[in-house]
Amino acid sequence: MSRIPFLRMEGLSRRDFLKICTIATATMGLPVEMVDKVAAAVKSPERPPVIWLHFMECTGCTESLLRSSHPPLARLILELISLEYHETLMSGAGKQAEEALKKALEKYKGKFICVVEGGISTKDGGIYCKIGGRTALEIVKEVASEAAAVIAIGTCAAFGGVQAAHPNPTGAVGVGQVLDRPVINIPGCPPNPYNFLSTVLYILTFKHPPELDELSRPKFAYGRRIHDHCERRPHFDEGRFVEAFGDPAHQKGYCLYKVGCKGPVTYSNCSVVRFCDVGAWPVGVGHPCIGCTEPNFWDRMTPFYEHLPKIYIPAGGGIRAEAEKVGKVAVGGAAAVVAAHAAAGVIKKAVKSFGRKGNQESEE
Amino acid sequence: MAKKKEILYRRVFVWSWALRIFHWTFALSCAVLILTGIYIHYPPITTKWAEFKPQYLMGTLRYYHFTAAYFFMAALAVRLYLLFFGNRYERFTDFLPINRRNLRSFWRSLKFYLYLTDEHEWRMGHTVLAGTIYFLLFLAAVVMSITGLYLLYPDISWISKMGVALFGSAQMARFIHYILHWCFIFFVIVHLYIAIWNDFKAPEAIISGAFSGSKFMPADVKED
Ligand code: HEM
Ligand code: SF4
Ligand code: SF4
Repeated sequence: MSRIPFLRMEGLSRRDFLKICTIATATMGLPVEMVDKVAAAVKSPERPPVIWLHFMECTGCTESLLRSSHPPLARLILELISLEYHETLMSGAGKQAEEALKKALEKYKGKFICVVEGGISTKDGGIYCKIGGRTALEIVKEVASEAAAVIAIGTCAAFGGVQAAHPNPTGAVGVGQVLDRPVINIPGCPPNPYNFLSTVLYILTFKHPPELDELSRPKFAYGRRIHDHCERRPHFDEGRFVEAFGDPAHQKGYCLYKVGCKGPVTYSNCSVVRFCDVGAWPVGVGHPCIGCTEPNFWDRMTPFYEHLPKIYIPAGGGIRAEAEKVGKVAVGGAAAVVAAHAAAGVIKKAVKSFGRKGNQESEE
Repeated sequence: MAKKKEILYRRVFVWSWALRIFHWTFALSCAVLILTGIYIHYPPITTKWAEFKPQYLMGTLRYYHFTAAYFFMAALAVRLYLLFFGNRYERFTDFLPINRRNLRSFWRSLKFYLYLTDEHEWRMGHTVLAGTIYFLLFLAAVVMSITGLYLLYPDISWISKMGVALFGSAQMARFIHYILHWCFIFFVIVHLYIAIWNDFKAPEAIISGAFSGSKFMPADVKED
């Protein structure tokens, strides 16, 4: 199975081809002169073999990559790489599929790119995610140990994703946490396909992985905050905020900070690269950023329509209270205690002077 | 009334100029940081006004927040230095409950504040109770500075490395920054109250002492 036959599409127009190469080059932060070099890398007959593994996830990353309504990008990606194993796309199933993986591993040992989509269960030996009787943990360790590079696509593979949300019953973690080799994270829920494409192109063009940030994300895509490249930013600085969805401020396109926008703490290039080839991105169309490229976003970025997380702390007698409310109560309490303390002082003084008077009288 | 007993007081110099500069810089910057911080956290509806007259309100208040933050951090650095190299009363050894003398003093001042005794705890420097709270506040101030720097400079590589290592993500740093901001409001209320209360209870002149550097002690009282 050298490539997936039914997806092999001829006739990607030259215009589409150059357009995509240009966007990808720009995404990488490279100058326009590099487009030719990138295009040459794409056209080179040597296509890197890719083994694509699926674990605990919704397959949304693959879906958004293929996005059948705008096929040219997916077509280019599938032309660019030689997809040796991909459970969603391949026709084989069961034993056939197992064989295909084994063969691909033998044939391309040390040469293929391993792409992982989905989190890895680690609790109880990882028994909560099994394929063909083997745990995800075993499979990913085996496959990754033979790979030339490992790319974790999507927030699940990068940081554990939705199944790692509290209370994380299966002990789900990102791929990087179970492998003792570097992993390139392309988080996002789903990630922008251009970030995946550009990362692969970068490796092909320069023969080494792009510069990564401290969370192993390519800096060219995840080096800047949403907030610093947002078209609504002038409204933020000016103090013009949407108070509720659909209010006049929302209709005028003001800043979404007060309806929970996580742009100020989220690193991604969404506002620049945008999605679906129609120039749209969430904040642009009036929805706050939910911080999908950040670790633990299901726990830390929720509630999605408030800008700080709710963390519940046990507050005596089994009551659980929001940390924020506890703060407010504590400050109110401080004022009350101060007042009570002052009152107690006054009373004590009154009682004492009364007592002293009594003593003086009895002395006389 | 019974006969008034005459007490002699002596003037003692305890707070160096560096400490006093720290104190007032810290106090003023805290006030600015708390007020602007509350606006940043929850900008009240100014939208109509901002449409009518552009004023760059969030931008300006954030600018004040960051300017005050630099004064705050500079003052904090001075205080941390004085913890180790200041005069006797400014060093942590004088006011943390780390030995028997200080522990005993700690309980005595606690009793005094709870009206369980009338005996004011005479100390040249901070009482140990106050000193302990101050020390905790300095720790909170360090965390405020680190989380604040991380939020302010997301593009500086060593700062974001430190931020990720300490807090995991910018959102977590922001949350900690916000929660700790309550500690500062809490502290300001209690600190002002106790300073004034003490001024009523004992003629130490601690409030003017924060400007002049000297306090008054009864001539016959010796610090143990
Ligand atoms: C007493 C000290 C401080 C207090 C009470 C304070 C308070 C606050 C509060 C309440 C917020 C809003 C948080 C939110 O809801 O997102 C905030 C934001 C912020 N503070 Fe502070 N802060 C203090 C010190 C500092 C320091 C030392 C820095 C250092 C540079 C700093 C930098 C920031 C930054 C960068 C933000 C985020 C602004 C934004 O997202 O636009 N703060 N502060
Ligand atoms: S909409 Fe979000 S990202 Fe844009 S300026 Fe407002 S808070 Fe920042
Ligand atoms: S705007 Fe925010 S939530 Fe939306 S895709 Fe980008 S990072 Fe994720």
